[in-house]
Amino acid sequence: MYSLIVAHETRTLAKTPSLLWILLLLTAAIAFGAWASSSVFERQSQGATAISNYENGMRTKMHDDLAKYEEKVKASGGKMEFAAVNHAPGEGPPQATNAGAVGSETESFAVLPPTGLAALSIGQSDLNLNYIPVSMKNIIDATKDNEIENPVNLKAGSFDIAFVIIFLLPIFIMAMSYDLLSSEKERGTLAMVMSHPISLRKLMASKLVSRIAILLAVVIAFGVGAVMAVGSELNQAETWARFGFWLGATVLYSIFWFALAVLVNAAGKSSATNGIVLAGSWLAFVVVIPTIVSVVTSTLYPAPSRLDFIAASREAQTAAEFERMKALDQYYYDHLELVPGGEDKANDFLTLSLANNASIEKAIKPLYDEFQNQLNRQEDAVTKFQFVSPAIMMQLAMNEVAGTSADRYENFMKQVFKFHAQWGEFFTGRFLKRDPLTTEEWKQIPTFKYVEEPFSDVLARLMPSLLGLLVVVAALTAFAFSSLRKYRVAAR
Amino acid sequence: MAEASLSRVTPPSMVGVVARKEFTEIIRDGRFKWTAIIMVMLLLTALATGWQKYTAYSEVQAAAQGETNHQWLKQGDKNPHSAAHYGNYAFKQAGPLSFFDNGIEPYTGNLLFMEAHKQNLAISRPANDSSAVSRFGDLNGAMILQVLMPLLIIFLGFTAFSGEKERGTLRQLLSMGVNQRDLLWGKAIGIGGAALLAIVPCIVLGALVLSMLQISHTADNFAARVGLMALIYTGYGLVFLFLTLGVSALSSSPRTSLIALVGFWAFSVFMVPKSAAEISKAVYPSPSWGEFQATMRADQVRGLDGVPTAAKLGKYVRELMKQYNVDSPTKLPLYFPAVRMQKLEEFDHEVFDHHYNGLRDTYMAQRRLQDAFGIMDPLMSLKSLSMGLSGSDLLHHDRYTRSAEEHRRMMVSKMNGYLSKAAVDLNGVSSSSNYMTADEAVFSIVPSFSYTPPTLEEVTKEYGSAFAILAAWVLASIVFAAAAVGRVRKVSA
Repeated sequence: MYSLIVAHETRTLAKTPSLLWILLLLTAAIAFGAWASSSVFERQSQGATAISNYENGMRTKMHDDLAKYEEKVKASGGKMEFAAVNHAPGEGPPQATNAGAVGSETESFAVLPPTGLAALSIGQSDLNLNYIPVSMKNIIDATKDNEIENPVNLKAGSFDIAFVIIFLLPIFIMAMSYDLLSSEKERGTLAMVMSHPISLRKLMASKLVSRIAILLAVVIAFGVGAVMAVGSELNQAETWARFGFWLGATVLYSIFWFALAVLVNAAGKSSATNGIVLAGSWLAFVVVIPTIVSVVTSTLYPAPSRLDFIAASREAQTAAEFERMKALDQYYYDHLELVPGGEDKANDFLTLSLANNASIEKAIKPLYDEFQNQLNRQEDAVTKFQFVSPAIMMQLAMNEVAGTSADRYENFMKQVFKFHAQWGEFFTGRFLKRDPLTTEEWKQIPTFKYVEEPFSDVLARLMPSLLGLLVVVAALTAFAFSSLRKYRVAAR
Repeated sequence: MAEASLSRVTPPSMVGVVARKEFTEIIRDGRFKWTAIIMVMLLLTALATGWQKYTAYSEVQAAAQGETNHQWLKQGDKNPHSAAHYGNYAFKQAGPLSFFDNGIEPYTGNLLFMEAHKQNLAISRPANDSSAVSRFGDLNGAMILQVLMPLLIIFLGFTAFSGEKERGTLRQLLSMGVNQRDLLWGKAIGIGGAALLAIVPCIVLGALVLSMLQISHTADNFAARVGLMALIYTGYGLVFLFLTLGVSALSSSPRTSLIALVGFWAFSVFMVPKSAAEISKAVYPSPSWGEFQATMRADQVRGLDGVPTAAKLGKYVRELMKQYNVDSPTKLPLYFPAVRMQKLEEFDHEVFDHHYNGLRDTYMAQRRLQDAFGIMDPLMSLKSLSMGLSGSDLLHHDRYTRSAEEHRRMMVSKMNGYLSKAAVDLNGVSSSSNYMTADEAVFSIVPSFSYTPPTLEEVTKEYGSAFAILAAWVLASIVFAAAAVGRVRKVSA
């Protein structure tokens, strides 16, 4: 009986033209989402490459000058000299011999590579700059820059696969199931079916099985297809582990909406009323509650004002200048080529300016940390509030799976700060000792390589969302099926 | 059907009768009460938080601008060119109606560093300082009217005809000789009135907020902006009202009309805006930060016209020497380093203009293409209009960034100009070792930064086509509803 109904339902569904349309729309949306999000990351990686190439090119030019100079010195049997910092080209040893010039006037870009599954969810990665310029200059300054994109598009948000799953999939599910029982009741076929030896719950379960099977087959097939098409690092087990969690979350989320439809149907109202209630719930869970959570968390933990931050960092800058520099020095530190009285003095100004930078950085680092802490508190609050809506749980889970979560970005920024310190250490020592840089030493210039966080960390952050979904879905399904008991099969 | 029999007694006032019947039926419905209460609560919360954010931001913005202006003057005695390096910040004003519709403001920088040699991008985007959940959308008045209001109208009206059809009362009504045009307008007025019930308290509160904010003094044509805003949202509501009635008249049962209408709502509120954004990105690609910076930095060195900046500068110096009839730049009656820096600054202007204007034009082209999607989605037109009138759109942001750049150029050239003359006066000769300091009196020749946001006329010019499209939607939906209701008789007859 059970399999008979499943088979019957599946056959009927297969012949419903509206289902075909739903599946067609769904697959088109997944394909569009995969294309759109992969182009976001492609654009970002092009940007990272372009600016890295530009800055690396500058350094390569310096290196070539250095190599030529080294050759010349070797040929003449002399000693390598240390160049003065000079913004204008001139005679004498090349700028590349001056570690201060190389370290402060060229940038090295620290790049956060997208994970293999980044296309599954863009998260905040369209806002954050995923490649940070690092030099001896103040690192806080470098963190001010944002990835640029038309604000109109940022407001509209990305049409990524997460959007398809979180926003669109429930609509399709509701369209398939808002009249699970009500339509049979309205047509009068329900009483007929129920005269057979089958319980209402079994009937419902078999109706659901056919629907879930069809829908998930499509989602899984196209999900795998999308990953194959736009994903990367497909030979790594971790990628597929992440994808496994994505699938699990998607299945749970789908069941949530099916169970909600069962619950609404169990109330025994008309198809139209079911439709209203489901559309209203969708609006509440997917739109209204998340925006309220956003308002609540940002009211509880408002980000400190950037405007205040700027005023404060200017204060620090003025103070540092007053402390270290005479009025005129400032001018030369901006334009070293104009320094009168010999080349040694130019280096003194660079020394000063580096010291200045360091003290400004020291003064504003606490402010910067306050920003990060507040943002973390906001994120923590969202982690707690996520359980009020499956859509929020889903979004957080997908950002984790895709590696576009705030935590991964923070981890990246920590590595950037470390790299900045490394970079500074390498060049400052050599500069202060007025040690001419050699091509041999050049090979040791630090480079940035992002170290992916351990998968266990990702899992630890992923678990609350997944477990939350699991609990909510299990509870809702149990409740929905138990409320079927009170369902009146025949109209009074 | 007491109303129907009543109509036989007083035939001319059918519209009123139908309207009264619809209205009473809706407001007696418990579901309506709850929906309306939720909507009012949400709108009130949205307006309250919007108002709070607006006042908080405006206060901080004014204070921060005042403080950095003060810091500019009190930066300490230094060379004027160094003062230009120290620079100043330009802070963005909040749009006059941004407490209602904050538009793209969370996604645009609200401060811009103005310094010598460099045109900077506006930084500090509120969205960057928010958690990922903020991307679900902002809770503000505009969002509620754009997203929730249409759904409310659909819920109130989807049974208007299809329900009567199912119950068989429609045939009855028509057989009594009720004019179907009266029926349409009566139902429209009744349902529209009920929907207004949920919105009017908020309009009252909005008006209260407006009078408290006192922004009317600063914004151009403030009253007209508010009036136009009310007009476009009414138009948007009417589109959904008549679409609902039309679809309801065409549908055989309430459930089909509901499915069709909710489908259209989801399509227009969620699918089209995002799809349009993605498509516009593909049609008019805009550079990422890295590409933008890399090409701009390269162009600064090699020149837009292929003549390297160094060569251009050499030519300029030779001309200058010829003009003053001297054989060395140091013999010029000007402080040469300052003249040189100013000239380099001007060479850069071309490069900056090329890249920054290019970026702006691409963004505008993307937005206009998205506006064109208004043909299939009235929300696209409404959104642009609403943001424009609120002063939270691209046009307003562009005015801010452009004004900041104008101010920057003025600041730098004033400082370089002062240096080029004052330094040479210092001891009668021009040499690079000829340095000088300036004080507050010199820094004060640069006026404080301020700018005038676009006027209402500029806004209406930019969004004229969006307005036309929205108006066309209103007309088309009325025609559609009339035609659909007209078909009812044929079917029933």
